[in-house]
Amino acid sequence: MQTSIHNTHFLLRRLHSLLGLLPVGGFLIFHLWENSQSRFGPAHYNEQVVGWLQGLNYLTLLEIFVIALPLLLHAGYGLLILRSGHNEWRRNPWLHHRLYLLQRISGIAILLFLLFHVGWTRIWGIWEPAVKADLFGHMQSILSQPPIFLLYLLGLLLSLIHLCNGLWTMAISWGLTTSVQAQRRWFLFCIALFVLLSAMGLHGMLGFIL
Amino acid sequence: MKTIQFQIRRQDDPYSPPYWESFSIPFRKGHNVVSALMVIRENPVTREGRRVDPVAWEFNCMEEVCGACSMVINGLPRQACSTLVDNLDQPIRLEPLSKFPVIRDLMVDRSRIFTDLKRVRAWIEIDGAWNIHRGAPRVSPEAWKENYLYSRCMSCGCCMEVCPQYGEDQTFVGPATLAAVRLMNAHPTGSYHKTQRLHAIMAEGGLSDCGNAQNCVRVCPKQIPLTTAIGELGREVTLQMLRDLFGKSE
Ligand code: SF4
Ligand code: SF4
Ligand code: FES
Repeated sequence: MQTSIHNTHFLLRRLHSLLGLLPVGGFLIFHLWENSQSRFGPAHYNEQVVGWLQGLNYLTLLEIFVIALPLLLHAGYGLLILRSGHNEWRRNPWLHHRLYLLQRISGIAILLFLLFHVGWTRIWGIWEPAVKADLFGHMQSILSQPPIFLLYLLGLLLSLIHLCNGLWTMAISWGLTTSVQAQRRWFLFCIALFVLLSAMGLHGMLGFIL
Repeated sequence: MKTIQFQIRRQDDPYSPPYWESFSIPFRKGHNVVSALMVIRENPVTREGRRVDPVAWEFNCMEEVCGACSMVINGLPRQACSTLVDNLDQPIRLEPLSKFPVIRDLMVDRSRIFTDLKRVRAWIEIDGAWNIHRGAPRVSPEAWKENYLYSRCMSCGCCMEVCPQYGEDQTFVGPATLAAVRLMNAHPTGSYHKTQRLHAIMAEGGLSDCGNAQNCVRVCPKQIPLTTAIGELGREVTLQMLRDLFGKSE
């Protein structure tokens, strides 16, 4: 008998779904928490927060296997999924249909933002020791330019919409929420999470420049 | 004279391009879209005064249980027989369902729904080499009440029409077919083939192709809780995946 594990379609979809939460979503939350400590000033941030992270053993392996690879798999398969839908944004003005579209648009936007964001911090830091040594100063100098601040804000909000709406749809796909009431309650939870994480992210961004 | 105005998207055969024509009929209270189309058919003259071929469409039960008269009316997929003209904005725009091949005018070929129902084994085998159920199968009143909701599906295609994941170029079986799996699996005799049905919807075009846009449940004329079925099946296939990966529990 043909079973699900002989058919990669299902397993790949579920892997895509799982990776979006763990480790990718988990890392995003950690990343926002880490950077929310910018308000304690350059010395604390550079030495305690970034310094502690840079001192981790096997850091490169962690970066590759816990962050980069899962992210690339999630994004790559997500781009494939895009092909399975139709753009019908003018029809069907219901909330979750709007979010269905936003989930797809934000996915592409986040990918572009990440190229810029990671390129200008982590990748640049490989060649430019000054960036690595004073990440606080580097972030301060780029975030104090209003267009880049707005770009970061947009990147932050889109990432969180993608994460929180993904969490909502994931609950249906995996069968955590089945009834209309349960799906609605879970939606409220996801909205609350979105507000909380947005506040944390914004707080971190402002900490660099205020 | 008070009139009722129509704009109808027409197509002469499956291969020719569509075009629009306007009609107007004398006002009468209490028309539904089918009865209005019958008036147009008696005298198929456009508003410009041109005599044309009568508009082709399908209908059968006239009480919203067969699904044959489904079409897009003022942008929303619904049944022409139960859509009252008095409640509609004019001109009333009639279009064929867009997710199925057009045969002619408002007639579409919905046979793909049947093909997909067969693909997911949405039937119950009541005959076998042995007596399949001794006595009548028993269902609790609670389960019966829930199953009844799903049993009202008439394969009209409205939920597929609004589903962004469903289309002629896609393999996704669509919400109604998934809900049929939910219904057949809940039947005592049908549950014998539960695993086969779950495996069928774990393949390409199955449950995981749903994008949770939840449009389907907004338009279903029978108020079938499609998104609940999708969530319940999500749980079932998660458990099935664990059974496939790690072995059964019993
Ligand atoms: S689920 Fe509802 S909308 Fe879909 S085919 Fe059945 S009756 Fe029609
Ligand atoms: S919830 Fe799934 S099946 Fe229903 S309209 Fe959305 S994508 Fe289609
Ligand atoms: S004629 Fe049967 S549903 Fe309209």
